[in-house]
Amino acid sequence: MPELTLAEKLEILADGAKYDVSCASSGSSRRNKGGIGNGAQCGICHSWTADGRCVSLLKILLTNACIYDCAYCVNRRSNDTRRVMLTPAEVAELTIGFYRRNAIEGLFLSTGVVKDPDHTMELLIEATRILREEHRFNGYIHVKVVPGADLLLVERLGRLADRVSVNMELPSRESLKLLAPDKSREAIVAPMKRVGELIVQTKEERKVSRKIPPFAPAGQSTQLIIGASGESDLQIVSLAAGLYGQLAMKRVYYSAFIPVNRDERLPAVIGTPPLVREHRLYQADWLMRYYGFAAGELLDEERPNLDLALDPKAGWALRNLHLFPVEVNRAPLELLLRVPGIGVRSAQRIVGARRGGHLSLEDLARLGVVMKRARYFITARGRFAADLAPDAAGLRARLTERTLPRPRWSQPSLFDGAGTMDLQSTITGEL
Amino acid sequence: MILRYDGTFAGFLSAVALARDRSVQPESITDREPDQQGLFTTIEEVATDRDRAGELYALIRSTLPPGALQTLRYAFHASDPDRGTLLFHYLMLGLATGPRFNSMLAHEAVMPVWKLARAVGREAHRYKGLVRFQQLEGDVWYAAMEPDHRILPLIAPHFAARFADQRWIIHDPRRGEAVVFDPARRKWAETFLEVTAPLPLTAGEELFRDLWQRYFDRLAIEERRNPKLQRQNLPLKHRRHLPEFDGK
Repeated sequence: MPELTLAEKLEILADGAKYDVSCASSGSSRRNKGGIGNGAQCGICHSWTADGRCVSLLKILLTNACIYDCAYCVNRRSNDTRRVMLTPAEVAELTIGFYRRNAIEGLFLSTGVVKDPDHTMELLIEATRILREEHRFNGYIHVKVVPGADLLLVERLGRLADRVSVNMELPSRESLKLLAPDKSREAIVAPMKRVGELIVQTKEERKVSRKIPPFAPAGQSTQLIIGASGESDLQIVSLAAGLYGQLAMKRVYYSAFIPVNRDERLPAVIGTPPLVREHRLYQADWLMRYYGFAAGELLDEERPNLDLALDPKAGWALRNLHLFPVEVNRAPLELLLRVPGIGVRSAQRIVGARRGGHLSLEDLARLGVVMKRARYFITARGRFAADLAPDAAGLRARLTERTLPRPRWSQPSLFDGAGTMDLQSTITGEL
Repeated sequence: MILRYDGTFAGFLSAVALARDRSVQPESITDREPDQQGLFTTIEEVATDRDRAGELYALIRSTLPPGALQTLRYAFHASDPDRGTLLFHYLMLGLATGPRFNSMLAHEAVMPVWKLARAVGREAHRYKGLVRFQQLEGDVWYAAMEPDHRILPLIAPHFAARFADQRWIIHDPRRGEAVVFDPARRKWAETFLEVTAPLPLTAGEELFRDLWQRYFDRLAIEERRNPKLQRQNLPLKHRRHLPEFDGK
């Protein structure tokens, strides 16, 4: 076969990397120390692709060759696709070339496993080292950890990168065994634990001396595939809660299963991927991280799956109608956050503005609080905003989205909480 | 009475200082051409007085809470023709109120200004991602953009920190304004600029343009195709200077 051009290689390696949904570039404030680039704490989007997802990082594989044969993966060994590889220096050059044009915030480097996990990790570390040391690049770098690699290599990588991640992909041990027989749960969890420890430990050490290099300052993340195996939302949300709580995980990403391979171990998917379910899981995830909800408030053994027709916050409110309506001039912030249609920023704005005077319904409108859903749950100066207080069934009908929304993939908003929340402002005010 | 200033921040502060000195409530404070004003109003041209403006600014800084200062700065860069008048009422209220000013978001003199500042802030943040440099012969990196608001001076510090070793220009061709960065002195400056000849692109520019376009096209997942969402996140007006949408 003829040697491929750099452009052709890039196409193949981008194709193999795009199913990894993380594209966040936030959380690092690395300064430009006599070179090029810096981290933007809030993250920056540079473009949006035809599926509506944001482009923030150059997301590529070092190679799409792989010794593993995971059922769901486009790069698995048994697929008859052309295998290509970039050198670490080529990865660095592409990154710098795009970065100088301000097309990206940095690099998200993943890879198939060549030879063995340790060898593959060495290549990833080398690409990162070239960027940091030879190009003096201080922009954002997110690198995948190869499950099964030596934990010392994981540590070296985290000292160079802004974020590291190990994808869990399948929510349970059984699914993993069935669909990714070459990877063990232990090989995935061990580096996650180590990364979690090092993040916490380094933060403490840096409080004493800033000379200690940061370790993955933008934290670690992971991804779960939704709908390739039989787990319930309760299992998935509980797992996510555990990852946030115990492993100092910064983000859990949910990726609707897209069948890229024909495989009898995988469910037959007809039509579009489970995008609405994915969207509801992101909403539940947000409620846990920013709204003070516990996993058990959203789901339990009797209702193990999220309602596809109703966002989880509205669902919770309907089950707890005895708490409403709340008076916006008195309710504590924690309760305001639980009102359907009132988001974090609206709630903070209300708390700020009510210090300056008793708020009326008109004031709320002026503050930009979206009343469409909130009006059934609040009063202002004792006045109820809706014309009537419907019962639970009536409310449910009013809060149900008539046509199920296509999940809107806007990464700065859905994934980072920093940007504007376009979808949520249309559905729930601001999620 | 209408007070007309020269469009600069110092000019605007001079107009506010003048109104305060005379204890008058101007009908509007503007930098628009006089022929756009009503028939029966008197227009007074305000000469920019840097000393008076400096004094007033010192007073504002010591009286207004920090968040309000930021709001003032961003709102001033809005393209809204009424911004001068809105900011005048905002400042008068702020100077009368002091530290409590931050909790007056619902006030009718505060909310419009806050909304202007938010629109400008959002656009400035957005353009940190949408500015696209092209490498020109002579090692100059050039970017063109056409934002709604005058955000050049607001985004320049971001690019100065990030591309501290590049000689770069960000150009707003619609307004004929540009920010130019000198890496030797690590300083940026505003200037007027008009580009009349074709840009002398380097050979590497062609290569990276091609690489980026191919990369971008491959990134979309076909099964998740959603052009409506793409348009919502990236309206067509922002695509003109993005190479990935060239000829689309």
